Amino acid sequence: MLQFWRVLTAGSRNFMRNMWLSTAATAVMTITLTIIIISFISNSALTSTIKGVTNKIDVSLYLKDTITTDQRDGFQHALESNPNVESVKYVSKDQALELYKQKNKDNPTLIQGLQFAGNPLPASFSVKAKDPKHLQGIIDVANQDQFKTLLDPTAPPSYSGQNKDTINRIVRVSNFFKSTGLVASVIFVVISTLIIFNTIRMAIFTRREEIEIMKLVGATKWFIRGPFIFEAALYGIVAAVIAVVLSYALLLGGAPKLASYIDVKSTIDFFRSYPLLVIFGELIIGICIGAFSSILAMSRYLKL
Amino acid sequence: MILFDRVTKVYPNQMVALSGLNLHIQPKEFVTIVGSSGAGKSTLIKLLTREEVHTSGKIIVGGLDYDTIKARDVPLVRRRIGVVFQDFKLLQNRRVGENVAFALEVSGARGREIKRAVPKMLQLVGLAQKEQNFPHELSGGERQRVAIARALIRQPKILIADEPTGNLDPKNAWEIIELLLKINRFGTTVLLTTHNKEIVNALKRRVITIQRGKIIKDEEQGRYTLEGGK
Repeated sequence: MLQFWRVLTAGSRNFMRNMWLSTAATAVMTITLTIIIISFISNSALTSTIKGVTNKIDVSLYLKDTITTDQRDGFQHALESNPNVESVKYVSKDQALELYKQKNKDNPTLIQGLQFAGNPLPASFSVKAKDPKHLQGIIDVANQDQFKTLLDPTAPPSYSGQNKDTINRIVRVSNFFKSTGLVASVIFVVISTLIIFNTIRMAIFTRREEIEIMKLVGATKWFIRGPFIFEAALYGIVAAVIAVVLSYALLLGGAPKLASYIDVKSTIDFFRSYPLLVIFGELIIGICIGAFSSILAMSRYLKL
Repeated sequence: MILFDRVTKVYPNQMVALSGLNLHIQPKEFVTIVGSSGAGKSTLIKLLTREEVHTSGKIIVGGLDYDTIKARDVPLVRRRIGVVFQDFKLLQNRRVGENVAFALEVSGARGREIKRAVPKMLQLVGLAQKEQNFPHELSGGERQRVAIARALIRQPKILIADEPTGNLDPKNAWEIIELLLKINRFGTTVLLTTHNKEIVNALKRRVITIQRGKIIKDEEQGRYTLEGGK
């Protein structure tokens, strides 16, 4: 325990002694850890955004005006028995008109026109899928002979809410951002490993006399190596603290602006609820990068 | 105390540094080893401190057979032997007291123990007033005293002094030799290597002369007989 404490003290002293090198190594590590958190934030925000968007996808099946209540119930029942169907909502002609009016309330000419034309809007089923990626099964139910005749021939089934192509594009773009985040994280982990490797290599070089003396007076290998490992781990610890503060500031400060583009609410909730988990995760990553780099440097340059 | 039985050391480049060397040093002896550069003195010391491993033969120091030492026990072997060098090997950025304390720190001594032992040791080597100084503020002779204090703080049974006076003027050199004699009187076996003819001759102690990896002369109250001594 005493020896362990001495190793920690020596490591901290070395950290302070090489202030410039330590600052550079800590800065790179801070950038790396910040990128890792930001990549995590954007990943989680994009995932919940996509989830939110795809939840809005539903299939609208427009019905003929002549459909009877029995036919309608039979059709609805058939749709509900499909395993991919989450819910089926019937929208009557009147409801459809009401919705249309609401949607176009800023366009009085259009609404005025409707009054002359009577109610041209068909009744419909709004079908919500469990998995929005596989809507074809629902369309297939509607295309069965017994139901096909019930559909309004002038209005084919449509994906309401958002357009499917747009949704697909959003998914592609966010996947691109997710993988960019991952690649950037990996690149920066490699860069900081190399920089810390080099910092420790220089530290070994400048302290070679001290190492020789330590050997001479009978220091054990871990008593000699320990301070270098702790010094490098300290880069990770300091960097983790800065990165977490920075990321929280960015996330909480930028949230109002971001909220109109992507869904950051659940991510913010996560960061608010588990600050210890975030800092602990960052500390582990930082310490591991530091310790790994210094052990690598010592295996090459510190022969005991 | 120290036994070398037909010890041979061949370096990887096939250079034979020691060849079948036999040496026996009793406890509390003061032995001077002389020899020209490359004769094998440094190798002999490196074998004792386990910086090098002998190729064949047997080395037993303080009852410990060096053939049985495992890599992780090497630090323990070094803690049993104090070593001082021509270039002092002090930590420049630490104070005199810290330099001496360092040898105790690595062996896991407690803070209280260190605080008690360091001033005593500095007093023994005549540096009681210099505990707070940095090595660069001291003279060569004083620096060597710090090195000796560091070597002795763990109370080793053997003190190896490898050319301890090489960088010192005659007055300081003599002071260091007198200090070594004093330490020897307290019961520590001292192994001194030197090129200083005057010192060797004045000591009137056992002198071992090494040439080309072999002992060519081993005399009680010996004299420096090599060419070119200072």
